[in-house]
Amino acid sequence: MTPLQTEHRSDVDPLLQLDDVRTHFKTERGRVRAVDGVSLTLRRGRALGIVGESGSGKTVLSRTIMGLLPSTAEVTGSIRYSGTELIGRGRGGMRGFWGREMSMVFQNPMVSLNPVMKVGEQIAEPLRLHLGMSRSDAKATATRLLTDVRIPEPERRIDQYPHELSGGMRQRVMIAIALACGPSLLFADEPTTALDVTVQAQILELIAEQRRDRNMSVVLVTHDLGVVAGHTDDIAVMYGGKLVETAPTTLLFSEMRMPYTMSLLRSIPRLDDPSHTRLPVIAGRPPDLVAPPSGCRFAPRCAYARERCHQEEPPLVPTSHPDHLYACWYPVGSDEFNEREADLVRSGAVPVAIARGEQK
Amino acid sequence: MNYLFQRLAMAVMLLLAVSALTFGGMNLLGDPLFNILGPVAADTSNPTSVAKIDAAKEKYYLDRPLPERYVRWLGDMVTGDFGVQFSSTGEPPVTNLLKERTPRTFQLLVLAQFMATAISIPWALIAAARVRRPTDRISTVTSFLLIALPNFALGIILKYLLGIKLGWFPLTYTASDPFFSRLHQLILPALTIALPAAAVYQRLLRTDLVTTLQEDFILMARSKGVPRRRVLVRHALRPSLFSFITVFGINTGALIGGSLIVETIFRVPGLGSAIVEAILREDFPVVLAIVMIATTTFVLVNIAVDLLYSVLDPRVRR
Repeated sequence: MTPLQTEHRSDVDPLLQLDDVRTHFKTERGRVRAVDGVSLTLRRGRALGIVGESGSGKTVLSRTIMGLLPSTAEVTGSIRYSGTELIGRGRGGMRGFWGREMSMVFQNPMVSLNPVMKVGEQIAEPLRLHLGMSRSDAKATATRLLTDVRIPEPERRIDQYPHELSGGMRQRVMIAIALACGPSLLFADEPTTALDVTVQAQILELIAEQRRDRNMSVVLVTHDLGVVAGHTDDIAVMYGGKLVETAPTTLLFSEMRMPYTMSLLRSIPRLDDPSHTRLPVIAGRPPDLVAPPSGCRFAPRCAYARERCHQEEPPLVPTSHPDHLYACWYPVGSDEFNEREADLVRSGAVPVAIARGEQK
Repeated sequence: MNYLFQRLAMAVMLLLAVSALTFGGMNLLGDPLFNILGPVAADTSNPTSVAKIDAAKEKYYLDRPLPERYVRWLGDMVTGDFGVQFSSTGEPPVTNLLKERTPRTFQLLVLAQFMATAISIPWALIAAARVRRPTDRISTVTSFLLIALPNFALGIILKYLLGIKLGWFPLTYTASDPFFSRLHQLILPALTIALPAAAVYQRLLRTDLVTTLQEDFILMARSKGVPRRRVLVRHALRPSLFSFITVFGINTGALIGGSLIVETIFRVPGLGSAIVEAILREDFPVVLAIVMIATTTFVLVNIAVDLLYSVLDPRVRR
C-alpha cells in the first residue's frame, strides 16, 4: 500500500461536525434553499451514506462541506473539520484542504478526467503540488496508486489517456487521484451511477477496502439505498434540502420511521419479486426549493400525510435509540400510519407482499 | 501519413482550380497590350504600330488561345518560372519582383500572427477567469471596438500614438536597413494587423474557455487542490484551443488581403502593394504569381492547423 501522510494529523474526533448548515443560491427566481438546516456528525474512519432523490440537496451538501460551490452560493451555519471551522474560509482558504485533507470522486468518470492529459500526470499532479514530490517520485507513486486501485499493467496505463480506458477503469483512476495525498475524508458523489452493474460492486468494494486500509472517513452520496446498505456505517436521508431520517445503517433498515425512506426502499427492485412486477414509484416531483411547501416538505407526495403534516413542520426527533433521528408526525409503525397502510393495501395501491415485507 | 498525402493532393487540386479561375478572370479584365506598348496599342491604322502590336502579341503569346496559354504558364510555373512582367520598361522576370517583395510580407504576417496569438491567449484567459464581471465586460467592448475599427483607421491611430507622439517605432520602412532595424520598422504595421485578429481570437477562445470551465474535469482539478491559475492554464486552455486554431488558419487568408492596406499606410513595399499595382496595370503574370503564393501559404497553414488538432487532442490521433 502507498504510504500516507497522516503522521502529523491531529486526531480530533468527530472528524466532521455540521451544525445547521444552509446553502442558498441566489437566482433570478429567488433564493433556492438547496440545503436548509442540516446538522450531522461523522467520526473518523466511518462511512456515511447521504441518500435522496435528485434535487434533494445531497450533492450540494457534499460540495458545501468541500467548499466547491459556485459564487452564487451563500453558506451559513457551522462546518467543523477536525475542530477547524470551514465556513467563511473562501476558496483560497479551502484549497489547502483540497486533495490533502479531503477529496472527491465524481459521478461520471467519462467526463471527470481531463481528456488531454495522461492518466499518470493527473495522478501525479496533486503529489507534486501538495507533497512537493519530484517528477520521477510522483510517477512511481502514481504507478503504486494504480496498483492499489487494482488496475492491471499500471506501468502501461500511466502513459495512456482517459479515452483509452474503460469506464470502470477510469473510475478507479479517479479514486487513485482522490487517494493520492492520503486524505482523511473522501467524498464519493454517486460514484457508481454511470457504471455497469457488475463494475458498481467492485468500485464500492474498492472504496470500502481503501477506507479500512487508510482509516479514512467516507461520505457516499447516492440515490440508491441498495448502494449504501452494504458499504456505510450510518445513513442520512435527505429530502427537500433537509435531513428527514438518520440512523446507523442496520438500525435504519430494520426500523425505518420516515415514510420517505420507506418509499425509497420500495422503489428498489427485489430479487424475489415475480418478474414484470411493477415497481412502486414515488408520485410527483421533489419540492420547489425556492418556495418549499409549508409543513413537512414530503407531505404533498406522501400517501400517509394528514392535515397536520401540511401545516406544521415535523422536527428531527430521536427514537428510543439516541442515534436514530427522524422527522415525521406519523412515522412508520404509528397507529395513524398503520390505519392508512391498511387502506392502501385494501385498495391495491400497495402490494401486500411489499407492505408485509417492509413492516417487520 | 496517408492522411497528410490526401491533404497535399487536395491542396494541389485547389491550387490548380484557383490558378485556372484567376487566369480566366484576368483575361476577362481587358487588354494588357495598352500597358505594354502605351498609346501605340490603340493606333491600328498605322502599319508600324500594327507590326509592334503583332510582335508584342507573339512575344507574350497573347495571340494564342486561352487554354494553350494557361498550360504553357502552368508548365513554366511548376519549374519555378513565373514568366516576365507585362510592362513597357523591359519585362523583368516576375521572380525578381517576388524575391524582393515576398520576404517582407511574410515577415509582416508572421510577426502579426505571432503578436495576435501572444496578445489573445492571456487576454482570453483573464476574461474567462472573470467571466461576466467588469473586467470581462470591458474586454468584450474593447474587442468589438478593435474588430469594428477599419484597418486604415487603426493603422493611422497607431502610427500617430506610438510612432509620432511616443516615438517608439519608426514611421517608415527602409528596405536597405539591416534585418533587426527592418523588424523594428515592421512592428507598427504588424500590430495594426494583429490587434483586430487578436480581438477575434480572444472572443473565440474566451467563449470556449468559459464552456470548458463548466466541465466536470475542471471541478475535479479544483477538488485536487490545483491553484486557480494552474487550472486555467494547465487544464482548461488546451482543450479550448480548437476554434482558435481553426480560425487562426482561415484568418491567414484574410490577413494576406488585409496586409495590402497596411503595407500602403506604412509604405512597406510588399506583395500587397505589388498585387494592387499589377491589377491596375493588367500585369497578369505578377497577379497570378502573387495569387499562387497567397493560396499556397493559406493551404499550408491550414494543413498545419489540421495536424495541430491531433497534437492538442489525443482522441483525434489515428
